[in-house]
Amino acid sequence: MRSGGVVPWLGIAIPGPRFIAVWQRDRDVFLRLWKAEVLAPTIEPIVTLLGLGLGLGAYVELGGDRDYVEFLAPGMLMVFPMFGAMFEALFGSYFRMDQHGTYAAIQATPVRPEEIVLGDIAWAATRMALNTGLVLVMLLMLTPWLGFVKSPLVILTLPVSLLCGLLIAGVSIAFTSIARSISQLSYFFSIYVLPMFWLSGAFFPTDDLPRWADIASNLFPLYHAVVLSRALTEGDLSWGLLGNLGFLLAFLLPSLWLGIWAMRRRIIRG
Amino acid sequence: MTAIIRAEALTRRYGDFFAVAGLDFEVAEGEFFGLLGPNGAGKTSTIKMIACVQDVTDGLLEVGGLDVRTNDRAVKSLIGMVPQDDNLDEDLTVRRNLEVYARYFGVPRHLAKERIEEGLALMQLDEKADEPISALSGGMKRRLVIARALVNEPRLLILDEPTTGLDPQARHLVWRKLRLLRERGTTILLTTHYMDEAEQLCDRLIIMDNGKALSEGRPRDLIAEHAGREVLELHLPPEETARVVERLAPMLGESGRIEQVEDVVYAYGVDEAHYRTVEEMASDPYRVIFRRANLEDVFLTLTGRGLVE
Repeated sequence: MRSGGVVPWLGIAIPGPRFIAVWQRDRDVFLRLWKAEVLAPTIEPIVTLLGLGLGLGAYVELGGDRDYVEFLAPGMLMVFPMFGAMFEALFGSYFRMDQHGTYAAIQATPVRPEEIVLGDIAWAATRMALNTGLVLVMLLMLTPWLGFVKSPLVILTLPVSLLCGLLIAGVSIAFTSIARSISQLSYFFSIYVLPMFWLSGAFFPTDDLPRWADIASNLFPLYHAVVLSRALTEGDLSWGLLGNLGFLLAFLLPSLWLGIWAMRRRIIRG
Repeated sequence: MTAIIRAEALTRRYGDFFAVAGLDFEVAEGEFFGLLGPNGAGKTSTIKMIACVQDVTDGLLEVGGLDVRTNDRAVKSLIGMVPQDDNLDEDLTVRRNLEVYARYFGVPRHLAKERIEEGLALMQLDEKADEPISALSGGMKRRLVIARALVNEPRLLILDEPTTGLDPQARHLVWRKLRLLRERGTTILLTTHYMDEAEQLCDRLIIMDNGKALSEGRPRDLIAEHAGREVLELHLPPEETARVVERLAPMLGESGRIEQVEDVVYAYGVDEAHYRTVEEMASDPYRVIFRRANLEDVFLTLTGRGLVE
């Protein structure tokens, strides 16, 4: 077997800085197509926020003087941007791996398979943070009327989004690596993304759900990102948030490893 | 001369199937070396091992004096690879494709810029530099992939069937560019199943089949050794073929041989006199061809099969 720098107990080589060249490639493609790529991630969360918040919100009683639309806003900074990371790591990576020969082309260069995958994961996470930024700009513009943003700490939702994006992309790209066709990618959407979406705590508090659903929600990275986003948007910090941040940090390396290990196998098999 | 590639008993196995079954060869610096063989001969597997894209199952393989098993990164930075498919980045312009690729090699930006302009000019693509890939013809895409393989100034340029699928004109232009690169001193390894391509370009080559080398040498020498100078080709109806062969066979000397592939009969070790005889016998002399022997004949003589099925 070719060693290729593989650490035996990890099953992968430790990626070096060359993953940045892959990230740059993805960025260059995005910059060429950005006009078509930023509209949906900006508009969808705002339409959902106003539609659910003002429409459904009229029938929702949260207790206290809080409006439902205010409750929804912080979640929009994570939930919809999450789709950006997921689509990039599912469909984007599938095309690069299977249809366009992008991975094959890079394989003939000194960039290792591990670095190809990490570059793609890093770009998917960047997309999530970028989308969070777009939604944040919209929320800030609406804040004078609807009072969404209550603290400058909201800017920290960007690094939280990036961190959450790395976890989501790692898991998503691992799934991409076992997909035999584009249509199989939708399985992942049904079994992982949709439950995560509804149990994220963005649309309703999960504390009052049946116990199994509450526990399940805590296993998804998105849930913790939404908790953090809510606290940062409202400027309402507590020690408990360290637990949420701790969850994301604890699963960072395992998620990256999973994505890299799984996709490396697919790339090498060719 | 020093060897840039050294392979000894090189083997690549997939399950029970040996794609490359014990290959020995050396390529010297500055040489234009070919791997000629039909599809499935093991050509692509061989170059994928050289380019560290596939693992070596067994045997020795050194590129630039480095073992490919333990020096993948260093070996890859010595190589420029032109794969069978044009795996260009369709979402990027011509120039941006090269810039992105130069980054994979860690070529400093100013240096990359210089090389990219030079490469585009060399491959006659400067006018297309800011066009999308979709604006390029098949031949242009091929040339762009070659330009891309040059951004790291490789010591070894590898081309996997570089003209498959191109029209004759585009093909000749690619050949011209490759000869130009050879004159500039680039070592080139080429795989092909086109005997004319191998004959035109290669200083030396290996004829491969079923993962093994059948023969190795300079194209002309191989032809002289295995196929002689001239060949007689018979495209006649079956009964007539039988009659002609019956007459021709006893006339041939020791080096003479008759091979049949599908419905065509090839006679080797023949001369003008044989041709006259056969031509007179044939109902339609137009269907008897007397021509110079080529590498296809070498392959045929060695395997009893044609190169391109």
